[in-house]
Amino acid sequence: MIKYLNPSYVFKISGKLLNLFKTLLIPLVAIGLIFSLFLSPEDYIQGDSVRIMYIHVPSAWISLFGFAAISFFCILNFLFKIKNVTLIYKSLAPIGLTFNIVAIVTGSLWGQPTWGTWWAWDARLTSMLVLMFFYIAFIFSYKFIKSPDRSIKACTLISVLGLINIIIIKYSVEWWSTLHQPSSISLAKETTVHFSMLIPLGLMVFALFMYVAVIFLMKYRIETIRVKKKGFKKL
Amino acid sequence: MNFEIFIMNGFGIYVWSAFVFTFLVCLFLYVRTRKTLKKLEKNFIKEANNLSEEQFEDIKKQKITKEILISHSRS
Repeated sequence: MIKYLNPSYVFKISGKLLNLFKTLLIPLVAIGLIFSLFLSPEDYIQGDSVRIMYIHVPSAWISLFGFAAISFFCILNFLFKIKNVTLIYKSLAPIGLTFNIVAIVTGSLWGQPTWGTWWAWDARLTSMLVLMFFYIAFIFSYKFIKSPDRSIKACTLISVLGLINIIIIKYSVEWWSTLHQPSSISLAKETTVHFSMLIPLGLMVFALFMYVAVIFLMKYRIETIRVKKKGFKKL
Repeated sequence: MNFEIFIMNGFGIYVWSAFVFTFLVCLFLYVRTRKTLKKLEKNFIKEANNLSEEQFEDIKKQKITKEILISHSRS
C-alpha cells in the first residue's frame, strides 16, 4: 500500500487518470440526467419531487464517504507519518464540504413539498449540519495552524470526533424518531427502492463519483505542485 | 411545446432548483480548481526557468518536477 501512496507514483498516474475521467464524465452526467429527470417514473406518494433524490442521495454519500476517508488518512498519517497522505486529505476536504452543502440544500428543497417545511431540527438533518462544521473546522486547522505537528494533531482529533458524528448520522433514523425516512438502500437489508428508480440513482452516483475523482485529482496535483514550489525557495 | 416536463405537476420549481443549484456549484468548483491548477503549473514553469542551469538540472532529477516540465520547452 505504501508504494501506492508514493507521491511520484500517484502524481504520474493522476495525469493519466484525469484525462480518462474527464472524457467519461460528460456522457455519464448526460445519461444520468436524462434518466433522473425524464425517464424515471414519479413516486406514487411524493410525485415528481422524488427526482431530487437522484442528486440528494449521491451528494450525502459523497460527503459521508469523504469524511470517513479523511479520518482514515488522518489516523494513518498520525500513526505512520506518511507525508503524501496530508496531500490526499487536503484535496478531499473541500470536495466533501461542497457535497455536504449540496446535500443540505437539496434536502431542504425536497423537504418543503414532502414535509411542508424547509428545515427541522431533526436528528438526521442536525447531524448533517454538524458534519458541515466538522468539515469547516478541519479545513481551518490545516490552513491556519502553521506548525505541521500541531496541525496533524488537530486534524486527527477533528477527524476522529467527526467519525463519531458519521456513525450518529448513519443510525440517527433508527435511534430517534425523525422526519427523515429510514435508509432505503442497504447492503445488509433488502433494498426498498424499485428497479426503475435504482437505475437512475446508480447512474447519478457513478457520474457524481466520477466528478469527485476529477476534482480530487486536480486538487491533488495543485497540492503537490505547491509543495514542489516551496522546494524552489530552499535551493 | 410540452411544458409538463418542466412543471412536473407543481414540483418543477423544487426539482429544477435542486438540479440547477447542484450544477452551478459543481461547475464553479470545477472552473475554480482548473484555473488554480493552470495558474500554478504556469508559475511553476516560470520559476523553474528562472533557476540557474545547475539548479535546474538538480530539480529535473525529481520525478514529479520532470513530469510537470515534460510537456514544456525546457525539458
